[in-house]
Amino acid sequence: MATDKELSDFLKSVEKRAFKRTVYAVRGDDAALDIVQDAMIRLAEKYVDRPAAELPLIFQRILSNATMDWFRRQKVRNAVMTNLSDFEGSDEQGDFDLLETLEAVEGTLGTESASDTVSRSQILALIDGQVAELPARQREAFLLRYWEEFDVAETAALMGCSEGSVKTHCSRAVHALAKALRAKGITP
Amino acid sequence: MTSQIDAQETELLQTRLSARLAALLGEQVSALPHDITERLRVSREQAVVRARIARRHAETASASTVVALPGGLAVFGGPSAWWQRMANVLPLLVLVAGLLLIEHWTAREQVLAAADIDTVLLSDDLPPGAYADPGFAEFLKSPPP
Repeated sequence: MATDKELSDFLKSVEKRAFKRTVYAVRGDDAALDIVQDAMIRLAEKYVDRPAAELPLIFQRILSNATMDWFRRQKVRNAVMTNLSDFEGSDEQGDFDLLETLEAVEGTLGTESASDTVSRSQILALIDGQVAELPARQREAFLLRYWEEFDVAETAALMGCSEGSVKTHCSRAVHALAKALRAKGITP
Repeated sequence: MTSQIDAQETELLQTRLSARLAALLGEQVSALPHDITERLRVSREQAVVRARIARRHAETASASTVVALPGGLAVFGGPSAWWQRMANVLPLLVLVAGLLLIEHWTAREQVLAAADIDTVLLSDDLPPGAYADPGFAEFLKSPPP
């Protein structure tokens, strides 16, 4: 059973990322705050008897459900389904070099002294915007896998799809981000 | 063989780029506006309070099913459970008894009313057979002279 401190520490460690992920999904700070609060309280009330190690997966599942509940309440499910159209997207992975983009990102942002604060924040905002533009499933897979640091199996369980789908979503998301960043002028 | 190595390299690059982008996103998230971090803090504190209440309720519920006796014995159920069952059944018993009492009282009232009528009829100067006589009925209907 998780203690108050364990629960508090866990929530503190995930709350900002959970908020940001929800903002990406619902496109609004207030709605995202409500959803995160709802998820936190559901976790606290219903799963307080679970060990602390199980909380991350449970919380992500609750957060996804709370977000879906919000969409249902807003009656904009059709809009969500439109965003899921990435299943039919064309494969454009071979158009450019991932290594180049990685070097560009690391070259631009890798060292503190190499870039001034303003341009750095602009580039961070640019990345943020590009992540927000990703199709919903690709974004969810990317964020769960690389931001929340779940493994492929856990991400697949959370998203309710196969591990192969997770890999595909992640790959497409990374390539789309890399391509978008290059298009915005982040070059070596 | 070469294509397999290429795929592994691509996956490695993809992982490195993803990790770098995720780190940058994390950096941006750490600088959220103050009002949002405050609302998140309040939500977190509310959740911890709710967890504490839920935990207390769970402990109370489990304690009520095990009643410790003075001699050190513990039994499931016990006096409180017996009284709870009685508390559920008692109102029903009272209701049934009340209905029976009302039925008995109503029947008694009807018997007494019929006895009063019989007493009046039998003690009157007019014999009871007169009420069944057609001539007497006509006499009652006819207007007084």
